[in-house]
Amino acid sequence: MEILLFGIINSVTLSLTALGFTLVYSISRLPNFAHGALYVTGGYIVWLCVNALGMNYFAGIAVGIAATAIIGALMYRLIIQRIRGMQISEIIATYAIGLAIIEGLRWGGLRGSTFTLPSFLAGSMKIGGIAVDNQRLFVLGFGVVVFAALGLFVKYTKTGLALKAIAQDEGSAMMLGIDSDRKALVSFALGSGLSAFAAVLILPLGSIVVETGYNVLIYSIAVSIIGGLGSWGGAIVASFIIGFAQLLTEVFLSTQYQMVISLLAIIVTLLLKPSGIFGKQKELDDRV
Amino acid sequence: MGKGFGKTVWTVLFLALFVVGHSGIAAAAEPPIVIGAPLATAFLYGWDAERGIKLAVEEINAAGGVNVGGKKRPFAVEVIDTRDLEPGVPVSEALLGMEKLILEKKADFIVGGPVRSEAALAAMDLLSKYKKVSILTTGVLTPAYQKKVAGNYDKYKYCFRITSHVGVMANELIAYLGEIKKGHGFNKVYIMVQDVEHARKGGEYMKKLLGDKGWEVVDMKVYPTGTTDYSVGLRDAAQKKTDILFLWMDMPESSILLKQWSTMKLRALPVGFVNAAEQPGFWKATGGKGEYLIVDLVNGGNAPAKITPWTMKFANAYEKRWGLEPEGYGTSSSYMAVYTLKEAIEKAGTIESGAVVAALENVDLMGVYGRIRFDKKSHQVIPSLDPAEGAVTSIVQWQKGKRVQVFPPKTAEGKTLLPPWMK
Repeated sequence: MEILLFGIINSVTLSLTALGFTLVYSISRLPNFAHGALYVTGGYIVWLCVNALGMNYFAGIAVGIAATAIIGALMYRLIIQRIRGMQISEIIATYAIGLAIIEGLRWGGLRGSTFTLPSFLAGSMKIGGIAVDNQRLFVLGFGVVVFAALGLFVKYTKTGLALKAIAQDEGSAMMLGIDSDRKALVSFALGSGLSAFAAVLILPLGSIVVETGYNVLIYSIAVSIIGGLGSWGGAIVASFIIGFAQLLTEVFLSTQYQMVISLLAIIVTLLLKPSGIFGKQKELDDRV
Repeated sequence: MGKGFGKTVWTVLFLALFVVGHSGIAAAAEPPIVIGAPLATAFLYGWDAERGIKLAVEEINAAGGVNVGGKKRPFAVEVIDTRDLEPGVPVSEALLGMEKLILEKKADFIVGGPVRSEAALAAMDLLSKYKKVSILTTGVLTPAYQKKVAGNYDKYKYCFRITSHVGVMANELIAYLGEIKKGHGFNKVYIMVQDVEHARKGGEYMKKLLGDKGWEVVDMKVYPTGTTDYSVGLRDAAQKKTDILFLWMDMPESSILLKQWSTMKLRALPVGFVNAAEQPGFWKATGGKGEYLIVDLVNGGNAPAKITPWTMKFANAYEKRWGLEPEGYGTSSSYMAVYTLKEAIEKAGTIESGAVVAALENVDLMGVYGRIRFDKKSHQVIPSLDPAEGAVTSIVQWQKGKRVQVFPPKTAEGKTLLPPWMK
């Protein structure tokens, strides 16, 4: 019961942290290596709004998410757009931006472990005799809502459909008048906003520290590679695979190898099915 | 009276001004004694030392400076960020920083770091090469440091350490746990450590010592840095009816562990070395769920306490200067290092390294955390559980938002409390 419960909670948490990265890649084929940095930035902006500016928590959250989305959009517009299509440059540029943001935050005062966000739900409840933080249950519930909302957005809104079209076939989408650059900008903004949203849900469990940015990036890459680059469904499935794999490693092997499992999963996936569980991209490229 | 008289008056006035002005300038022109501080300033174990050093320097300068052979000289501090606590930063970066302090910033003495043990051990050769007296005040928990000095005294005699190390800390923790064992009949320990070398080795050493003292160590878990869920380990500890949860972690995620411990109302008292709990902001950061955690602050004075008459004087001065209570474990030791250095320079009458080394070896000063003396062979500060005899530790328990000193007995201001669900 404990494995099932915490496995589900940890898996949903993992998929939330990776969602922004997956979204950006699926639409614009751009690996946003600044994803972890944006996650921390979003959380820190909310903290500043609440603690330095005295704003209401929910207003601070709105500002934090919006500001992070704008940062993502500016990143794309000012830097990434110029090197779009040059894959190595895209990776280097986004990674460098991420590093600059993280170290800039550290230099600017985000140090120590006392920067925290309040939980949405205090206390705990017992499920099957196991005490669980209400905040973790909140993350679980809200995570499911976010996935559903994203699914509806992509299926029933004009922008969502345009993003989906680009993800499927950029050339055809452009022929139909969909502005690829504009949609890539939107995807960057949306992905960045999602990373901030994930931060707001998850960071109340601990504290806001810059090192979290590196961990979030590693897990996002692991989830995306295993699930299939660009596949949202794949990312969710991969999150569950990694989440449960880590928990089972902890229970039956050793806590020490939790991180190793994610990295090992990347290697195994690349060896057995390089396109990932639900990825099709590599196979098509190979055939062509 | 003519031109000649006017010329004479101006000449006399000019000379008078020159003499008066020159003597004033000469009095203020004593060059400062430069303290070089190689520290990982973006981390708690760097900025805690920086603040301690700067506070001491400001106080000493305000009181007139250091008496060096009859002349008063101020201290000046040059801090360099060695980044040696950042993941992936090689030891060579810290050594480059140290060399820059010595060659470019002309540091006369080195106080503070490097902070990582590997970097500090590597820096000893540099200090020997340039004959720079160094007092380590933060980080560097390895006992290998003083062993290296004792093993090759002539080469490493310039190296001193005024902060504790894992060998001393472990024995102090064992002594403290022995008291709790007697008082509450506890017997089972569950060890949870971070997957970094000092924590793993600390955990292994504690496991051995606990076993020797009759404790049953039911398990030891090693967690990778960045772990955000400790539920499995905590449940396991509960099922094994653990009495003590021994922790050794300096990652911020340890606050998540404490929150989960509190949520689960685990019937085990958390004790150990927890970086996140060394800061006054820990209480707010955990929403009060860190209450009852017992944490080793390594050196006394890193939380307000009445260890010696100087301790609260220091704590109040620190709070006035920096806006919060002392934090980390390198604060009081860094502060005392500067005063100890002052004492040694004044006794030696010079800043020449050889003379200062000899003076430091004979220093005997009642400081913030007890009597400050160095072992003459290893240059390690002499520890004790009695502040009248040596440097004491500070083991505190978080009670109602405050860090209350509960060990050693001669300095304790409160008793160890159990959470209500453990009574």
